[in-house]
Amino acid sequence: CDLSVARLDHKVYKHHEQRKVCISRPKYREGRRAKAVKVYTINLESRHVMVQGVPAIGVMTELIQLCALYGAVEEYRPLDEYPAEEFTEVYLVKFQKLTSARAAKRHMNGTSFYGGVLHVCYVPEYETVEDTRMKLQDRRRYVIRAVQNKEMVIPAHDKPCDRENTETSNVSHYSSFPLLPPPPQEYQYYRHKTQHLAAPTEDRMGTLHSAIIASEQQPVPSSSQTSSDRVRCPEPRLTSNQSAAGRFVPRTTHLESRKRRMEEETEHSLTNVTRKTALLIGPKLPEPPKVDMEDESLNTTVSLIRGTMKKVESVPDLKPVEKKVKPRRRI
Amino acid sequence: MWKKGSSESSDRFEYLQTLVTEFQDTDSEEAKEQVLANLANFAYDPKNMDYLRQLQVTDLFLDMLTEDNENFVEFGMGGLCNLSMDPECRDIILQGGGIRLVTNCLSSRREETVLSAITTLMNLTTPSSRSEITDAAILQCMLRFSLSESPRLRNLAAVFLQDCCTEEQVAQAEQQMQGQQAAVGIPLPED
Repeated sequence: CDLSVARLDHKVYKHHEQRKVCISRPKYREGRRAKAVKVYTINLESRHVMVQGVPAIGVMTELIQLCALYGAVEEYRPLDEYPAEEFTEVYLVKFQKLTSARAAKRHMNGTSFYGGVLHVCYVPEYETVEDTRMKLQDRRRYVIRAVQNKEMVIPAHDKPCDRENTETSNVSHYSSFPLLPPPPQEYQYYRHKTQHLAAPTEDRMGTLHSAIIASEQQPVPSSSQTSSDRVRCPEPRLTSNQSAAGRFVPRTTHLESRKRRMEEETEHSLTNVTRKTALLIGPKLPEPPKVDMEDESLNTTVSLIRGTMKKVESVPDLKPVEKKVKPRRRI
Repeated sequence: MWKKGSSESSDRFEYLQTLVTEFQDTDSEEAKEQVLANLANFAYDPKNMDYLRQLQVTDLFLDMLTEDNENFVEFGMGGLCNLSMDPECRDIILQGGGIRLVTNCLSSRREETVLSAITTLMNLTTPSSRSEITDAAILQCMLRFSLSESPRLRNLAAVFLQDCCTEEQVAQAEQQMQGQQAAVGIPLPED
């Protein structure tokens, strides 16, 4: 519906380009990553993203599964008409929330995917008028709430948590630890990027745009989300020593185990829309949307807690998955 | 934790101050652009609003709007777009004669600049500023944008027309525009 309105519009806009990075910055203004000189505003952001550089080998399912790690995907389709490099495809993905799109862009852009390198960019030109209106409203609300809560001094490291939580939790304290990677483990849902290990906060170039992912979920009035965040945030000190998700799992294994787990969940629960035959995750995902806390240890904790909760919910769920994965890997 | 927090925020303030100082002191156009972009991006995060206000970065951005360098204008306008989300910054921009300066950016050749200007104008709309922002000239501009080929420009202009103005105002502006076009289309008398 929304997407079809814009179907005829496949222009290549300037904001799709990967701009040249700036190499003339003095040391004190260097950020964590090389970046172009560019100003981010809400106008450039969107819950619609375009993924370029997807190898044309029939991996749409895998791509959408990967996207879904960052939040519920509402719609997606290949953009056949959009100019693509040889042997690659371009996809349009519409997330339910802007924050998910932001996390997906941040984590997926520039990563390799089945031998290709993904380029992920926002495509606000696919928005409807209503999309644009809501985007601006959400942003205004978010800023107003954030500045209202600002009376308390907010440490830079608090980003993983809602601002409202700051007074009650000690998260900032914990997340400022130098982070050690936990031992590798098979049961892992989320992709981690090593460069995040040392850098839990925004950089010196003010690219906060992507650095406030977690807190910006605040304006979305989804009560369940917020309350569960509240539960999760103060948790690290209780659980972090048990350690959780590992960092490296071969991608195929990772995707296979995910798929298998989803299929099992479809059998187990009623919440799920599609059968095994409908391979694609599509709009409604069996998983809660990925919360990117912008902090490795918090992310780890989130996935640990989710894992634990799953275990509690359905005891046989977790173990079989792990057992099944192993033989498959040896092959 | 509190102690840590306050030292970190004073670090942030000092850092932003260093940026502002470099911006003022440097003769390098390139460095100025980089710093300006940095400041505009810092303005995206509400937690910097206080500092940026104290450092009078709102005025710095406003000053950029009349520069010849189009990057300065784009980055300054982007910074204002980010800052104006905050009501206090909005008021400062309004007091600094921001409406007129921002309105001038509507005729920029760069789409990003125009988009920032439209969003900023929407952010600047308060009960007391509304009449100035819904001036007939601005409305006509938005009406033209709403017919643009660019979906982003079209959408944003549509939101402006729907949310910031009354239907009567829009209808009136439409009439005036048609009037103008009709007048332009009429051949001049030959004698």
